[in-house]
Amino acid sequence: MGKETDSGELIQGTLEMLVLKALLRGPMHGYGVAEWIQQTSQQVLRVEEGALYPALHRLELRGLLQSKWGASENNRRAKFYQLTVEGNKRLQAESQRWARLSAAVAFVMQAS
Amino acid sequence: MRAGWHEFRLRLKALFMRRRMDREMAEELAFHQAMLREKAMRNGSTEEEAATAARRAFGNPSRWHERLRELWQFQPLENLARDFSFSFRLLGKSPGFTFVAIATLALGFGANMGIFSLINALLLRPLPVPHSEQLVAVGFDEHGPFGPNYGVSAPIVREMEKQKDLFSGIFAYNTNSETQIRGASGNERATAQFVTGQFFSTLETPPLLGRVLSPADDLKGAGLSVVISEAFWKSWFGGTQQVIGRKLVVDSGVFTVVGVMPGSFFGADPTVRPAFFVPLASEEILHAPKSWVAMGNHAWWLTIMGRLRPDVTLGSANAALSTRTLPLLRAAQWEPDRLKDDEEHHANFSAIPGSRGFTYLRRVFRRPLVAIFAMCGGILLLACLNLASLLLARSAARTQEIATRLALGASRTALVRQLLIESFLVAMGGVGLGLAVAPMIGRSLSAILLGNNSRMTLIDTSLDVRVWFFAVSTAVVASVIIGLVPALRATSRGLYRGLRQGRTMEPGERRRWTPRLLLSLEVSLAVILLVCAGLLTTSLVRLYRTGAGFDAQGLVGLTFDMDRKKMAPREVIPLYQQIEEELRRQPGVRQVSFVNVMPLIGMQWTNRLSSQHAKDQTVYMSRIAPDYFDTMRIPLLRGRDFRWTDSATDTEKVILNKKAATMLFGDQDPIGRTVLSGPAREGQQPRPIQVIGVVADTKYSGLRENFNPIGYSALTQADDETATYFAVVRTSGATGPLASAARGIAHRLAPDIPAPTMMTMQSVLNDSIGTERMMAMLSVYFAGCALLVTAIGLYGTLSYETARRTSEIGIRMALGAQRGQVVRMVYKENTWIAFSGAAAGLIIAILASRALASFLYETSGRDPWVLIVSVAALVAVASAASLLPAIRAARVDPMAAIRTE
Repeated sequence: MGKETDSGELIQGTLEMLVLKALLRGPMHGYGVAEWIQQTSQQVLRVEEGALYPALHRLELRGLLQSKWGASENNRRAKFYQLTVEGNKRLQAESQRWARLSAAVAFVMQAS
Repeated sequence: MRAGWHEFRLRLKALFMRRRMDREMAEELAFHQAMLREKAMRNGSTEEEAATAARRAFGNPSRWHERLRELWQFQPLENLARDFSFSFRLLGKSPGFTFVAIATLALGFGANMGIFSLINALLLRPLPVPHSEQLVAVGFDEHGPFGPNYGVSAPIVREMEKQKDLFSGIFAYNTNSETQIRGASGNERATAQFVTGQFFSTLETPPLLGRVLSPADDLKGAGLSVVISEAFWKSWFGGTQQVIGRKLVVDSGVFTVVGVMPGSFFGADPTVRPAFFVPLASEEILHAPKSWVAMGNHAWWLTIMGRLRPDVTLGSANAALSTRTLPLLRAAQWEPDRLKDDEEHHANFSAIPGSRGFTYLRRVFRRPLVAIFAMCGGILLLACLNLASLLLARSAARTQEIATRLALGASRTALVRQLLIESFLVAMGGVGLGLAVAPMIGRSLSAILLGNNSRMTLIDTSLDVRVWFFAVSTAVVASVIIGLVPALRATSRGLYRGLRQGRTMEPGERRRWTPRLLLSLEVSLAVILLVCAGLLTTSLVRLYRTGAGFDAQGLVGLTFDMDRKKMAPREVIPLYQQIEEELRRQPGVRQVSFVNVMPLIGMQWTNRLSSQHAKDQTVYMSRIAPDYFDTMRIPLLRGRDFRWTDSATDTEKVILNKKAATMLFGDQDPIGRTVLSGPAREGQQPRPIQVIGVVADTKYSGLRENFNPIGYSALTQADDETATYFAVVRTSGATGPLASAARGIAHRLAPDIPAPTMMTMQSVLNDSIGTERMMAMLSVYFAGCALLVTAIGLYGTLSYETARRTSEIGIRMALGAQRGQVVRMVYKENTWIAFSGAAAGLIIAILASRALASFLYETSGRDPWVLIVSVAALVAVASAASLLPAIRAARVDPMAAIRTE
């Protein structure tokens, strides 16, 4: 289908991984995902709404997420996203890849 | 793969539930904003500040929305939909073009479908019986000029039935027999078919009710059993379940109904729908005293079909039939003379595939239908070429628009796709409309055929798999032809170079080559169709002009069928005299007479006549009542007519037509001379007959034949058993009342004969050349269409072409070219197409004229007048179509033309 020619490929890929990770804890709406990432990263990573929702929808299109409408904690109608089996597999693959990558980057940076 | 499928499904869902998707996206966004607002307010912001913060975080919501929507979009499909709607709008903008395009295509396609459904019904459709591919038809080939004979005598049928080692079943039937069935309210006509005992078992179709006929029913002396059709069961017996065992009085036989066949079953001849089937053995009873079975080998009227045993191939069956021919003929009591003759000529029985049943109409209609089919194909090809060149010219005229779109970043594929979609829309429109009108065209074609043979109405022209397959493949081929050329042109490099330069015109010869070739092809096709039409029409006109030799206008024929009436020859004369007197009393009737061989309906009766001058000449015979020549308006050249007073006791008399008189007596005066009538039956001596008159020549059995020698004998001197005559009536009044009057007369004078049927001589004349008429009418129609389509195509294409040269013409005129010169220049370039196309068409037409030769009467396939007139007509039309754009071009205002550049 359509080509994804986003300049921030790494950022986008990373965001997708973070979204998947956030949803590992259970179904959550978009706001919740953004909040969780922000809090867990101790306010370092701020997820732009303009990037979050395209990422969520893209993951849904690829079958890594499922969406369902439900009631939020303050009783509003909200769209909840949930990991699929595929999504879970992808998350594991991505975490491993990330671990290797960050270790490698750290290795390089620590070299004197 | 699965992931791809998942995505496809979701996108498809999004495509069809777009509004719901939009709503949900908006809701999701609103929820997020609300949460952001609440969070801000929890952190101590005012409501207003919170709202501003939330909005800032989101940026432009519609852009956000658009990004999500793009994500979900079904790109290729949506592009396609956009192209479609664009093409629709474009076509809608030029309704004239669209109408002509679709109409011409619909015409070509509809005509093809109509003809094909006829061809399918008559030539292709297998019999609706199990394993029809095992069936064969058996003919008898005496190696005469007309090929194998598929009508054989009853004794041969009985012998053939014994060949059980070749056939698992073998049967014979006659095409159809008109019978009288007796009902509560008088006699009615019904079509019966005589079938042999294995007919039903071989065709393997189970009855709806009761049982089928078996070989036991087909024995002499067996009880009379009849199997009826579903239609007859419903109309005559009201569809009652208790029909088995009921009586049915057919002619003079009382039959017992033993079974009902389902409606889909009609036997082995696809052109008849018998009301009921009776055993062949009953024919001797029904047709007494003139039974065909009793006539033995003198009546050839039965068609043999069989089902080959599984281990027997067509080839081995033919080999076996060949070696068995003579013994079989001997066993069938073949006359010794004929047997010797057949032995010398290696006569043999042979089988041909019979999966489609057998009908003589195939022989009659195959070649005309195929010829018309070819003409239809020509029209369709013409329509396709026409469309291709029009679309091509249109796309060329849209150069500027296309250049703009390219400049704005449209991809080439997108442009080509749009052009293709436009062609496709036109093609589909035409094909769709063509399909819609096809049944109508098919019906009107059958109606034209019907004039020739009412049995054609019975053939089933309904659509089936073959017709659909034909429709689909034709539609595909047509669309490809229409779409391919413009698409190829659009992808060609030359065009793009031109486009990129943003030039609106490029009058290089190379670029105008393709449409010109297409148009030339179109013109040559039109010439071929015109020549066909011209030849067939000339032939028809000659047929009419040469004429029948009598005046058909106001002439009516009435059948008085006395075949089943047992009468001595002496009783016949007063009866017909009475009928004559009664008929004469009807209003409008001028003259009445009788004849036993109605001219032009294919009946034949020959005799051998000898004179001193010429021995043993074959002469066609007619037995007539007095005043026949007067009624028919056949000039009496010499001598006298018959009188009612010429009796059987007088010397036998004959009147000859001019041809016969010349043949028998040269230029001597034949009046009063004697001819010898050859042995009518074996063992009889030749009888002397006196010639009392000479009349002008007339056609005998058909309008297409030459004038043949005819001898007329007197009804009053008749001595043979047949007493059936046609009344010929010259009337100036309406024919309707005459028909009912004739029925009344027959009812009063001969209550036991079938009601007389009436035919006007004009319709007999038309029917006699029905095929020729049909072909001429259709070819003229097609040629007219071809001419129209070509004119439209030429005009349309040349207008576009010329319009593209507006600025060039403007410059020429600014540089001093005169209007006349411009007209001449454009006209000359445009008519080149017409002349080259016409020349090519003429050559092809001359080469192909042999294919038409067999349809032509006294007309050469290269008739110079027809060729000249066809080409002239086309050149005239093409010139007019070329001249109009040329004149318009010359009206260009030079300044305006240059300024647009």
